[in-house]
Amino acid sequence: MKVLLVDDSGTMRAIQRRCLNKIGVEDIQEAEDGVQGLALFQAGDFDVVLTDWNMPNMDGLQLLQEIRQRNREIPVIMITTEAERSRVVLAIQFGVSDYLVKPFTPDGLREKIEKWVQVKA
Amino acid sequence: MTTATPALSPAALTAEYVNPLITATRDVFEMMLGCTPVRSGLRLKQPGDASPEVSAVIGISGGAAGTIVVGMSGEAACEVLKRMIGAEAYAVNDQVCDAVGEITNMIAGSAKAQLAKYQLSISLPNVVTGDGLRLHFPSNVCPMVVEFQSDIGPLSIEVGFTEI
Repeated sequence: MKVLLVDDSGTMRAIQRRCLNKIGVEDIQEAEDGVQGLALFQAGDFDVVLTDWNMPNMDGLQLLQEIRQRNREIPVIMITTEAERSRVVLAIQFGVSDYLVKPFTPDGLREKIEKWVQVKA
Repeated sequence: MTTATPALSPAALTAEYVNPLITATRDVFEMMLGCTPVRSGLRLKQPGDASPEVSAVIGISGGAAGTIVVGMSGEAACEVLKRMIGAEAYAVNDQVCDAVGEITNMIAGSAKAQLAKYQLSISLPNVVTGDGLRLHFPSNVCPMVVEFQSDIGPLSIEVGFTEI
């Protein structure tokens, strides 16, 4: 299982990494924005992508678009403060697989990640 | 069909934003930091009032234009980092600022979601640090300050909107 984590906050990446480690996922690569994320995505063979929405250089929605042009199947989970229904609908239209609104409980994050990690396992 | 944005004065909009901010602050602290902040004061920010040592600033745009500042002491900011990822910091550093910025991002985002009718967008957070910080809102803005007490220490949220 190989996971790509994209978030401009090192704190958020650390929280998500810890959660992934707890469910046995160790092969994780991290990016600080969509540009870095896309470069890693193109270079690696990932099973799941976790991405923030609001980031500098390239946001998560643009990254999602870029990924979907290359891969229609890979699960992409958006983890973001964008909670309005219109934003969730937009992300779905762009092909997001799942959506988690910040703030979240540790259990909420674990359940969401576990669901997609198990799908790919 | 387009949805008309409700017409409110900047002062009224600032007041309308306060309750969502209080709810958002409580929710974010409970979920991410495991403590419940209690509102301890609400006042108008006076010219010359200093902001706390660690202050995270987020701009609001869209159907309204404004600024939110979440501020706390350096000690409280270090505790935010510790509670979020278990990392110890004995002074304010980049990691501490990142954690406070992310907490602020969540508070602003959560409050924004409660005011969806204004179709607001929020900027990425900028964190400023130092003693006696003076953060200046535009001269036509009358910011409000919401003060909280919490297990990690006192914190404040400044919010002000302007005409667009």
